[in-house]
Amino acid sequence: MSRNQSHTPEGRALGRRGFLSAAALGGATIVGASALGALDADAAFAAPTPSLDPAVTTTAFAEGRIAGRNGSMLEVAGSYGDTYRIQLTNATSIWKVHPTTADAIEPGDGLYARGVPMPDGSIAADAVWVNIVNLHCTVRGIGRDRLHLAHGTHTVVGRIVPGTTSASYRGGALTSDLSRLRIGQDAQVLGAWRPSDDTVDIVRVTVGH
Amino acid sequence: MACGSTYLWRGETTWFCCGSAWGPCGSAGGGACGNCRSSANHGAWPNASAACWDITRPDLCGEGGIPRRGCGAVMNVKHQCTGATVCITITDCGPRTKSFCGEQTCCNGECRSNRILDLTPAAFSAIGSLSSGKLPVWIYE
Repeated sequence: MSRNQSHTPEGRALGRRGFLSAAALGGATIVGASALGALDADAAFAAPTPSLDPAVTTTAFAEGRIAGRNGSMLEVAGSYGDTYRIQLTNATSIWKVHPTTADAIEPGDGLYARGVPMPDGSIAADAVWVNIVNLHCTVRGIGRDRLHLAHGTHTVVGRIVPGTTSASYRGGALTSDLSRLRIGQDAQVLGAWRPSDDTVDIVRVTVGH
Repeated sequence: MACGSTYLWRGETTWFCCGSAWGPCGSAGGGACGNCRSSANHGAWPNASAACWDITRPDLCGEGGIPRRGCGAVMNVKHQCTGATVCITITDCGPRTKSFCGEQTCCNGECRSNRILDLTPAAFSAIGSLSSGKLPVWIYE
């Protein structure tokens, strides 16, 4: 059985997205926040997805900031004035710096979510990425616990998170050794934005030449 | 416009944000074509124009043959291992291939080299997890 499938009591294979639909529609399987999350987001996307036209999608995507929460339903204010309702299920993978649970989600957080559109207009989420950013930057300063980065015409403070922040140099394996970072390097920073102070917790910094 | 199945290129794709957005992405703007949105299935191509090529310089990484595809071009992007696909429209210039020459992304023991495509969060998340940061892909048109 693939990682992306479970089975019904009758023994039929049930794809993850089908499971999500059933979970959200069934209601009873939507569980409390403490039991949510920590699933592998990569597994949510293992099934081939047909694609014929850029205007046609088989799953739904949402982005914006979390305006409120009603149990396992997130109310999201989109960046273009639209609104979304994101249903968390016990199959939803949640990322915020690392795989986590719904307990880590706070009002004001930014969010990207992908899942299955439900008849009531909500989205039953396969995966939710909270505050995730992936920025192409230039290293402008290096401190003991932070990097000063230029992103376009703006500056970003990247926080080094002990035990979490890692680096990759010239395509090499990830390492916790940040000593080879240099001012002026182009860098790709994957991390989590902190709405409270507008800094970014660095998960991974990749530098090339 | 529908996506096709004629091979165009292969390599790594990363993701980026554009258009109105939250956090540091709020300053990203609409990209080289002016209409890029994180919530749409959009992408950035390193040879979207001559000026774009001068910034990305994939030729410095041995990817000199990447064809010119400008704003509005449509591509089908397929994850090398899962087969998951997404149909995108080019709305920006990128990624900066020359800054990461030789970088590889692998799955099932097969690797793709060099960043030759940037996807919006909507497009990237249709074929992989945003937390992975990059994926090995084949591109068709």
